[in-house]
Amino acid sequence: MGWRIGVDIGGTFTDVAVLDEESGRAGIAKVPTTPRDFGAAVVDGIGAAMRDHGIGPESVSLVSHATTVVTNALLEEKGADIALIATEGFRDVLELRRSARADLYDLFQNAPAVLVPRRRRFELRERIDAQGEVVTPLDEAGLDAVVARIHELGVEAVAVCLMFSFLNDAHERRVGDRLRAALPGLPVFLSSEVLPEIREFERTSTTAVCAYVGPVLASYLDRLEGALAGLGLPSLYVMGSNGGVFDVPEALKMPAAVVESGPAAGVIAAQRMGRQLGRPNLISFDMGGTTAKASLIENGRIETTSDYEVGGEGNVGRWLHGTGHPIRVPVIDLAEVSAGGGSIAWLDPGGALRVGPQSAGAEPGPACYRQGGARPTVTDANVVLGYLSRKHLLGGRLPIDAAASEMAIRKHIADPLGQDVAQAAAGILRVVNNSMAEALRIVSVERGHDAREFSLAAFGGAGPVHAAALAEELGIAEVIVPPIPGGFSALGLVATDLRRDYARTFYARIDEADPRVLDQRLGELEAAARAMLRNAGLPEADCAIERSADCRYARQAYELTAPLGLGPVTHALLEALADAFHERHLRTYGHKNPDEPVQMVNIRVTATGRLPGVAFHADAEAPPAAGEPQREVWWFGEPVRCPVIARGALPAGAEGHPGPIIVEEMDCTTVVPPGWRARRDEHGFILVTRSA
Amino acid sequence: MAAATKTDAATFEVVKNSLYAVAAEMKVVLAKTAYSPILKAAGDYSCGVFDDRGEMVAQGPDLPIHLGSMPDAVRAVVRAWEEIEPGDVFVHNDPYFGGSHLPDVNVVSPAFVDGALLGFCCVRAHWPDIGSATPGSYGAVTDIYGEGLRLPPVRIHRGGVVNRDVEDMIFANVRTPDERRGDLRAQIAANRRASERLAALAGKYGAGTLRRIMQEVMDYSEAMMRTLLRDIPDGEGAFEDFCDGDGIAGSHQDETFDIRLRIIKQGDGVRVDFEGSDPQVAGPMNAPLSVTASGVFAALKMVIDSAGVVPPNSGAWRPVKVLAPEGSVVNAQYPAPVVYANHEMSHRICDMVFGALAVLVPDRVMACSQGTSAVLTLGGTDYRTGERYVSYETIKGGFGARPDRDGISAVASGISNTMNTPVELIEMSFPVRVESYELRPDSGGAGRWRGGLGTRRTWRILERDAHAAVCCERTKSPPFGIEGGAAGAPARISVVDPDGTERLLNSKGSFEAPAGALVVFDVPGSGGYGPPAERDPARLREDLADGYVTPEGARRDYDAAALDALSGTRPGARLSVRAPELSAAPAVPSADPHRP
Repeated sequence: MGWRIGVDIGGTFTDVAVLDEESGRAGIAKVPTTPRDFGAAVVDGIGAAMRDHGIGPESVSLVSHATTVVTNALLEEKGADIALIATEGFRDVLELRRSARADLYDLFQNAPAVLVPRRRRFELRERIDAQGEVVTPLDEAGLDAVVARIHELGVEAVAVCLMFSFLNDAHERRVGDRLRAALPGLPVFLSSEVLPEIREFERTSTTAVCAYVGPVLASYLDRLEGALAGLGLPSLYVMGSNGGVFDVPEALKMPAAVVESGPAAGVIAAQRMGRQLGRPNLISFDMGGTTAKASLIENGRIETTSDYEVGGEGNVGRWLHGTGHPIRVPVIDLAEVSAGGGSIAWLDPGGALRVGPQSAGAEPGPACYRQGGARPTVTDANVVLGYLSRKHLLGGRLPIDAAASEMAIRKHIADPLGQDVAQAAAGILRVVNNSMAEALRIVSVERGHDAREFSLAAFGGAGPVHAAALAEELGIAEVIVPPIPGGFSALGLVATDLRRDYARTFYARIDEADPRVLDQRLGELEAAARAMLRNAGLPEADCAIERSADCRYARQAYELTAPLGLGPVTHALLEALADAFHERHLRTYGHKNPDEPVQMVNIRVTATGRLPGVAFHADAEAPPAAGEPQREVWWFGEPVRCPVIARGALPAGAEGHPGPIIVEEMDCTTVVPPGWRARRDEHGFILVTRSA
Repeated sequence: MAAATKTDAATFEVVKNSLYAVAAEMKVVLAKTAYSPILKAAGDYSCGVFDDRGEMVAQGPDLPIHLGSMPDAVRAVVRAWEEIEPGDVFVHNDPYFGGSHLPDVNVVSPAFVDGALLGFCCVRAHWPDIGSATPGSYGAVTDIYGEGLRLPPVRIHRGGVVNRDVEDMIFANVRTPDERRGDLRAQIAANRRASERLAALAGKYGAGTLRRIMQEVMDYSEAMMRTLLRDIPDGEGAFEDFCDGDGIAGSHQDETFDIRLRIIKQGDGVRVDFEGSDPQVAGPMNAPLSVTASGVFAALKMVIDSAGVVPPNSGAWRPVKVLAPEGSVVNAQYPAPVVYANHEMSHRICDMVFGALAVLVPDRVMACSQGTSAVLTLGGTDYRTGERYVSYETIKGGFGARPDRDGISAVASGISNTMNTPVELIEMSFPVRVESYELRPDSGGAGRWRGGLGTRRTWRILERDAHAAVCCERTKSPPFGIEGGAAGAPARISVVDPDGTERLLNSKGSFEAPAGALVVFDVPGSGGYGPPAERDPARLREDLADGYVTPEGARRDYDAAALDALSGTRPGARLSVRAPELSAAPAVPSADPHRP
């Protein structure tokens, strides 16, 4: 047994979590993020964490990392110079997109960014048809000319996406071989390797994203691995958007799979917490300074989606397509809204009270920080109403000016509405809570789940402040606040498993599919999955393969993923798949059509390598917050003297402490309203429950 | 500022957002369960929540084309039926009874709370076929009877039980009825979800409060709209333009016809008057007034409320009056045919409103976009399965140049926001091979800011002959530029027969595409903004490097001398020579300088 180290790079701080595999004891080190060279903070933070906890390099069993390098390269448009090779007639696919605009009425919207400028997009004479047959052979002379031109241009990577290559990859493989032979060392991404799935734009986009960020990711991970090796640490694992970690060579094969590394870590942390506490049904709720994220865990399982865009301008709305780059890889399904502690409250010209999406962020910050912010924020409303300390936060390190909060709310909200400051502050919280409740509803109610059957896992700096109010709104009976709520996401990195997803198109009606052909296709995916696990050197008993298929009614366009059992493919296995699909359709959309044929579109194989399980444990010796014994807190429009208790002083008995109370700790405040009660469990988790 | 509402600001905001979330959720249910590609992949539908009188309280993030006509969809049911019960579902599509054109099928369900009517939910969805002689129901006919199955508001479910009489009659009159069944089921499922959500809201806030807030949401939109209108200077703008034709060959020979509009903005209201527009035409290019209004509303919203702060509902449009002579092409009277006008006329009007407002607010308008939905329908028998098929595609062109930036290439504009259908899905579903789908170089109108490029899409018809129809505009009237910008390239549609001869097609009507033929559809680019001579040479150089502009195009559309000097210019420098004037400015701006 040893220590695991997880590193999560945030906008302001780089969090390093350490976890003792034996005791479950966890710790966090925070160092300022170093945007010019993220690796520097990583090395600093790891050094600090190892010193603080007396960890020697030989006792470290795992180093895993959530990286923002891929996302940043896309957001800042600082990826590699790449070339794209397409079928004749289709070099513009990447720019033509799906032709819907992102905003219906914005006259001044920008065209979505294109990862490969038109001058570096090349066409090849060749064609494969919808049955996978070659109807135009590959033009070898044309290929020679394209290879020569790409050599001349000196690009850093090449993406290749030919029509129907997901049915027949012969032409793409030939192009790949020629490029690799002629230009050794140049990264080449073939769409049939990256994403053998139907829909040319989405496949091209995913392949182009890989080529665009691949070189950046490679040089970053290379430097980081060097530095870690210098500290005597084991080789690095990277967290994928699907919530699993994989090693560096796997990450470089599929760079698009590490896009939402950070948010995934938080959901994984919540899932592990649920496993430990015996709460298989959880909604994770992570609220920071600018956004709040929600995700659903049912029966201990995390939902993933393959309908995702990275970069570009806002895509919070669940419907309109944004201006980002679609990547069709599994990403943990989360709803994100622009609502955080720093979100600014304002009145629109019609007199309605709005909160966000603008945020005061860390700079200039809420008015009460006195760091230049003058507009009222959610944090200011919490200060005015006493949910947050009117004196100081962060264990006394951050002084709070409550008068500044009041002034900002009075000037911008209360006076124009003819309300008093407390009324206005309560209004701000109701509006922001409503928009966060919306995120919770998107992942629960809208997906056909009854929120009342779930517990709410609240973390992030602001999550536990708002969680009980949201639980009230959705009829949720229990809120769980983990240890170190502010840095809890980083704990997900040290508590996860190895995981990698493999998929390919298998286009057939379930009642007409040839079991032998399907068996063979699945076998190919499983072979790749098993090779990945073998390379990781995990014992056989800890490795698992799961299979599933994306299905829909034959004439629909959107698939639902249904589980496909293991073992040889038989008609019975396929019937079970169809039944599972009908049930999912019923639960998701409220109706099913069992008489209709079911179409399989993609088959999926997921390889999981279980790492030894761990249990989190709060540090019992955490010092009580340097707070006041009680303060005035507003409930239902009235100020009430309300006890303020340090987390460590919260009673552990089943009775707990009745609300209203405020529970304070170093990086977080938990609000327990009237009608709720709070206790500490044996691992140090805070359980806030509705009083019977 | 005084609050415009009686409910407290926070409760109002919460319930308002919840009502819009209901409409958005309806979309999700519809898109993910519908069967026809035009709904599931292209997104041609709208959803709304209505009060008990049929006023629209909340519209989903929908197609602007339905802004003006969705409010009529439920009022038609309220007018037609007195006794409405829980579990009822109504269906209708008649443009002379609250519809827009026959393929747009409205499904309306009431929402009840404690036995009392609270309001309605409605999903309008474009069915790829609603009968008539032409697959896709896009034939060039001369009255509404030729356009397919007309449904006044009829009850398709009564008290939760399906009315088979009505259902069977509908499915006997449309092509590929199995697919239509799936679409109808999806529409009903979306309404059912919305009714449940509304009942839950009423349970939480009380039915009385919810009813009051439903009214206040409309008042709020009206107040917001009036506030924003005050920011526009008072005055008048006018514009005229002409359409390609109505698709009817014969004595009229598919002649062009004119549309004229004046916008009078005063205080917090605006009037748009179509006096002087041509009388209704023989073919289906006649717009019911609500379709005309959609074009007006879509453009006004982009100019006045570009940031999207006014929630779309019936209240938002109270300050706007749309007037058009009865029996004109922009206020069609029964039994004029209308199917093309739904998008072709509302596109046209949307672009013309920008043209007219250029006088008042030149920094808040855009040049003319593609101006057409560019519809191609193909029908026949799939040689691979022996089954009948109907394919309906809309192809996108340029989005107009703006006062401070270029247009956008190949994206939906104005009243439209449907998606293209992936080539690989088309070829899997239908017996065609798409041989190219690409940008059209030089199709973006030249200007200080260049128009967006149009596209070319080509289809090879495989093995068996296809019956095809096209519906397009701006083959004769290219998308105009603004403030001195040049027009974008017009549309062009042709068939290259197997022997290699090319047939140029009219902009509208059906045609035969024999096996082995290639259908070529060039969709318009958009107009430029500002004089071409003021184009930043660095941008022109980039356009040349990417082939958006060819060297020949640059010589023709910009300035040969300047182009030759390009290699020596610094980024940011302006061309020093002026382009020739397009024409003297007419008293009423017109899309076509040669038609004063």
